[in-house]
Amino acid sequence: MTTLVIDTATSRTSVGLFDGAVPLFAGRHDGATEHGEALPRLVSGALNLGRPITQVLVGMGPGPFTGLRVGITFAEVFARSKGIPWAGICSLDGIVSGVTGEYIVATDARRKEIYWAKFDSGKRITEPQVSLPEEVQALGLPVYGEGASKYGFEADIDMIYPHPLFMLASLEWADGVHQPMYLRKPDAIPTSER
Amino acid sequence: MTQSQPLVLGIETSCDETAVGIVAGRNLLSNVIASSVDEHERFGGVVPEIASRAHLEAIWPAIERAAREAKISLDDLDAISVTAGPGLVGALLVGVSAANGLALALDKPLYGVNHLASHVAVDLLTHEKPVGPAIALLVSGGHSSILKLESLTGSYEQLGRTLDDAAGEAFDKIARLLGLGFPGGPLIDREAKSGKVAIDFPRGMTAAKDQGDHRFDFSFSGLKTAVSRYLKATPQYLRADVATSFQEAVVDVLTMKSIDACKASGIETLLIGGGVAANSRLRELAGERAKKAGLELRIPPASLCTDNGAMVAALGAQLLSDGVSPSELGIAVDSSASVSTTSWI
Ligand SMILES: [Zn+2]
Repeated sequence: MTTLVIDTATSRTSVGLFDGAVPLFAGRHDGATEHGEALPRLVSGALNLGRPITQVLVGMGPGPFTGLRVGITFAEVFARSKGIPWAGICSLDGIVSGVTGEYIVATDARRKEIYWAKFDSGKRITEPQVSLPEEVQALGLPVYGEGASKYGFEADIDMIYPHPLFMLASLEWADGVHQPMYLRKPDAIPTSER
Repeated sequence: MTQSQPLVLGIETSCDETAVGIVAGRNLLSNVIASSVDEHERFGGVVPEIASRAHLEAIWPAIERAAREAKISLDDLDAISVTAGPGLVGALLVGVSAANGLALALDKPLYGVNHLASHVAVDLLTHEKPVGPAIALLVSGGHSSILKLESLTGSYEQLGRTLDDAAGEAFDKIARLLGLGFPGGPLIDREAKSGKVAIDFPRGMTAAKDQGDHRFDFSFSGLKTAVSRYLKATPQYLRADVATSFQEAVVDVLTMKSIDACKASGIETLLIGGGVAANSRLRELAGERAKKAGLELRIPPASLCTDNGAMVAALGAQLLSDGVSPSELGIAVDSSASVSTTSWI
């Protein structure tokens, strides 16, 4: 089983390639508006190893919309045109590993908000939500992820972005995600309400 | 499949149409279009985020259907071609990411192409003789330009463009004022069939002072204001007459300026594309005026005037046949790409 892992739900574009659970390739690019350009270059790097890919795993968010769609679109079309399976996971599930007890994983939702969910010893115990950072801080739990580092929580600098290794590991406990997690409606006002 | 008839799949997602077309050289094999237009209706215009979400849902089904209708396997393709700009950034990115996914999965070359040049390239699918030097009038909800081109894949020059609304946007806005719905183009076209040109609405950018710098530019915001004022001042207005008079004001300027551009450039072919090129009065008036001016007029059938994937595939196939190198990995979408970039290197 050779798995291509992709995530574009945060300002980082991450790509990993695994033989079973053994990492063969890991690549990343930081830039909140550069997912579209970075992803094909990173995947090309993984493909250059010459290993036939047998499945694709992609982070379905939550994440800011335009970047998030880059990874999901790519993963779906790549997998389907090859006729191999693909699966989506919650990107928050691939950020933290090896922490016991309750904690929060939060990413940057922009507009001064964060996407977040509560975890207990490695497993997510709430659905992802979008909230103001203060509301999450009021819960009094440790916070990990880009949302923590950007909004001034005390943060673990090694666990800020989805990591292909942790994403792959989450397959063992998390449910598959079948729709992009936007968590916000598009900005638009119907003409009847103007 | 010989290189003179390359099998190319084209993806177009610059606005609200998720479109995939497949050509074998200059032969159209399939042209699949899924539109999110209904989802935008209650907003009175295309909402970029709604369009982008719809693109993601529609893109794979469109690719699959295009291949099935063309009776080809994706493995048979010689190249992939995709609109990289101009257009809505979020919408363009879905198409480009899908194209990247296809190209890398199938190990095929990828061409990022210009949307406006694709509107011209669709002519390859309908005319035996390739277009030589021509003036192209491209009019839709997203663009209104007059281009001068030496040849299809040769150099392009933008002679004029709209300074405010695109022509299609003007149709949408007036249709809304008249309570006709969205999208406005076909609704006004139909309404205008039963009206007459009874009101003398202004022709934007046609005053003597505009003949210098703005000779080939358009402006439709003044026209919109004039229609709006007329409706307020005339409670008993006849809707069909307003629609007809408004439509006449738009197509009068579009055709006048394009023919003027042909004359000014000594060019004898006028090509019209974009969604507004489906307007029946535009086609009629352009036909009359081109004939009178001794110009050859080329307008694709309506299904190839609106945004579609076949035009993107046609341009990709031509670039491949001409031996143009494919784009490098990591095409950057460009929402305001100028037409001088036919393809992305
Ligand atoms: Zn167009």
